[in-house]
Amino acid sequence: MNTNDMMAEIRDANLNYLMLARQMIRADKACAIYRLGISAEIASLLESLSNAQLLKLSSSNLMLARFRFDDIAILGMLTSHSKERGLSQAHAAILMAGQPVEEIN
Amino acid sequence: MASKSVLSEAREIGLATELIRLGARLQLLELETSLSRERLLKLYKELKGVSPPKGMLPFSTDWFITWQPNIHSSLFINIHRYLTTHAGVSGIEAVMKAYQLYLEQMPPAPTEEPLLSLTRAWTLVRFFDGRMLTTARCRECGGDFVTHSFSLSQDYACGLCHMPSRAGKGRKARAA
Repeated sequence: MNTNDMMAEIRDANLNYLMLARQMIRADKACAIYRLGISAEIASLLESLSNAQLLKLSSSNLMLARFRFDDIAILGMLTSHSKERGLSQAHAAILMAGQPVEEIN
Repeated sequence: MASKSVLSEAREIGLATELIRLGARLQLLELETSLSRERLLKLYKELKGVSPPKGMLPFSTDWFITWQPNIHSSLFINIHRYLTTHAGVSGIEAVMKAYQLYLEQMPPAPTEEPLLSLTRAWTLVRFFDGRMLTTARCRECGGDFVTHSFSLSQDYACGLCHMPSRAGKGRKARAA
């Protein structure tokens, strides 16, 4: 995969992410805020984007969605093999719900 | 109620229907909607085909402390807290939404009831409001877990970081 292909893939992922996020927010805002881990302000902003704006935003060569697990503990839990999958997922969900949201500063 | 609005009654029936589908007991419905007991009874029978279970609601705070229920209720209360602080929902709506999200995370086996019922989840929120239960931060993973308000939680370790030796090894847990 050369650099150009990679950029195209990133733009694709951005567009996919933004479209899914907007759809989720329009369907059920409160649940979307939880599932996406974003603040209410960002959710309102995404909700109000037009298709043209969405396309413009997604055409960045940088990934728009950032990794949600800043915490090494959560990441280790999701990938560890020592625990049963159901349990480690529950544990990760508890920790993720306790995390602060992404906000516009 | 001073004036009975048909529209608000329709809304209440919609809410009650949703709650019954999620498995609410009659006492919960009576407290969270303004519909009369007779109407709720009728609605319940129509939806479920059977009379609602009788008897008191579970009232013990200890259930939430035992190992497996503690994990489920901690997950629920974390979602509930997230929704009330970040998504701006409150009251019964927050309980309902958090419960749906909880079910997505912990889907029960096809033939089984979810471990944490809606009525229990609602009771849990009431226990938190009444400060009978609170959360403690685990010293290892940093997650918040349900504990008694009066228990000493200086050096708390959660049931997932420090699993009891036989936890999750039962016949039922294996099958799940």
